[in-house]
Amino acid sequence: MKKLIIMCIFTLTFFLPCSNGFSDILRTWNMKTMFKPGSNCGYVFLLLFVAIISCTSHKKEIIMVSGSTTVLPVVSKAAEQFRLRHPDVNIVVNAGGSGVGINLLGGKKIQIAMVSRNVSQKEIEKYTDVLFVRHPIGRDAVVPVISSEIYNAGVKALTMAQIARIYKGEIRNWKEVSGPDREILAVDKEKARGTRHVFMEKVLGDKEAEAPGAGLVVGSNNEEQTAIAQSDAAIGMLSNAWINDDVKGLSIMLSDGDVIEPTLENIINDKFPITRDLLLITNGEPQGKVKEFINFIKSPEGQKIVEQSGYVSIHK
Amino acid sequence: MSAYTSKIGKGYVLSSTLISTAMILLILAVLFVNSYGAIIEVGWKLFTLKWNPPDARFGILSMLYGSLVVTFLSLSIAVPVGVFTAVFTAEILPSKYRIYVKSSLELLAGIPSIIYGLIGVAFFSVWIGELFSLQSGRTIFTAAVLLSIMILPTIITLCDDAIHNVPRKYREAARGLGLYKYEVILSSILPIAKTDITGTVLLALGRSLGETMAVMLVIGSIDKMPQPFYNFLVPGQTVTSKLGREIAESAFGSLHFSVMMFMGIVLVIIVLSLTFVAQRYFKTGRLYE
Repeated sequence: MKKLIIMCIFTLTFFLPCSNGFSDILRTWNMKTMFKPGSNCGYVFLLLFVAIISCTSHKKEIIMVSGSTTVLPVVSKAAEQFRLRHPDVNIVVNAGGSGVGINLLGGKKIQIAMVSRNVSQKEIEKYTDVLFVRHPIGRDAVVPVISSEIYNAGVKALTMAQIARIYKGEIRNWKEVSGPDREILAVDKEKARGTRHVFMEKVLGDKEAEAPGAGLVVGSNNEEQTAIAQSDAAIGMLSNAWINDDVKGLSIMLSDGDVIEPTLENIINDKFPITRDLLLITNGEPQGKVKEFINFIKSPEGQKIVEQSGYVSIHK
Repeated sequence: MSAYTSKIGKGYVLSSTLISTAMILLILAVLFVNSYGAIIEVGWKLFTLKWNPPDARFGILSMLYGSLVVTFLSLSIAVPVGVFTAVFTAEILPSKYRIYVKSSLELLAGIPSIIYGLIGVAFFSVWIGELFSLQSGRTIFTAAVLLSIMILPTIITLCDDAIHNVPRKYREAARGLGLYKYEVILSSILPIAKTDITGTVLLALGRSLGETMAVMLVIGSIDKMPQPFYNFLVPGQTVTSKLGREIAESAFGSLHFSVMMFMGIVLVIIVLSLTFVAQRYFKTGRLYE
């Protein structure tokens, strides 16, 4: 309130005398001249209006969340429910990818980063004044996915080595892996995406490995899903929850001949080779409302959202 | 109005001018200061083909090439179509319909670029992929065609203004010499409107060089030079789409970020130099003034 009065006084004393409408009033004592064309009194009142609005707007506590598009569906739904119970808190959830989330948290621009991989040593070294604290909220698998046309033509499982050779550009046609005679479109992801880190670490052995065989680079899970659904000969990497009828999840053939399907059971009992934790990361131990929000997601109710989104709950 | 208020009015005008100038200088300064690290540490290796930040390989040549090609292709599609449409609306269409055509075109010019991008990624790239039987319809060519559609309304309405502003007397004099209508347009009106049309093309060039969202969605984002270099039906990358995809991933102050800023400054330099060249060679002024 004090701020408001100061702002009003400031605006009136400094800007009203500057407006020629005001000097006209002083001369003629006629209020109508104030809004004559050519009078700039309007601006002064606009300024006053802005000052009042900027001071009176009610202050809510804002929690900024950003990062992985894999974790996003869980957190945005949880934020909705959390807001219903705590009307004084506003939670802003943005996407961008795990790397973006960590960079923003490192720059102290957000309170919670959503991350679908581990924080790398490089990132820890880069932000020495930030203590990254992990809060696992669920489990997920990164599944190699292919266009439904190829899946229906008989390619149902590949070995890790075959997938690696596709991304290295050594296998370029589906017939080399007993599929139809079609060129492979390998869909890659942006380098800082969590899904790519996890996938490439297991497939090519290095989380930032280059993929010279890639024919397309996309960003979010949505974009990847669209690109693979639109093509009839594509392979890509997606979180387990994003697989659908157009985008089929491949089984992985292990070296001993076992074929592991990307099912929830195989993720729960850790048989599927490319699994990961879905994390929320804060700077130091969370306090106040941030802590309450994270605890809400870990609670049975929050874990229900995790399962509805297609991931595995931490309690399993 | 008193001398006092007049002085204040002058102050307003002057300070507005200074603010806009300062803004431009500030942007240039920020770009330069932030890209300084890239220039010092990477140096001439910036102009190579390989891009892989984890290995500290920062070659921006493929993105620069992509930007230039996309812009050139989109202009070479949009400028002829746009100028001839403007000739039609300004010269041939009865003037009572002109206002409707023009206002609907101006409406088109106001559509946000993300809308074009979404249409491009959902339908347009699929059509292009089927038409040329490509693996993926997200190519340099797709981006160029999408861009040309985006800049077309701007080109048409501004060229239409330019042609419409040519005084009547030139048309009458040309008709008086017994020229046919197409001769009047080609040899009298278009040469007179040339300066304004050049200005329009420059504006379109700026937009097409700077467009990010729509291009980012349809170009495929592969940091590779097309093989061979005139094969535009392959995925590529422009400077703006690279910036859009990676600027948030690079930590502020890192070498990666600095190279991103350097790409920004290269883009600014290209636009500035093209504007400078165009103004120098087309500064004949309007013939009718």
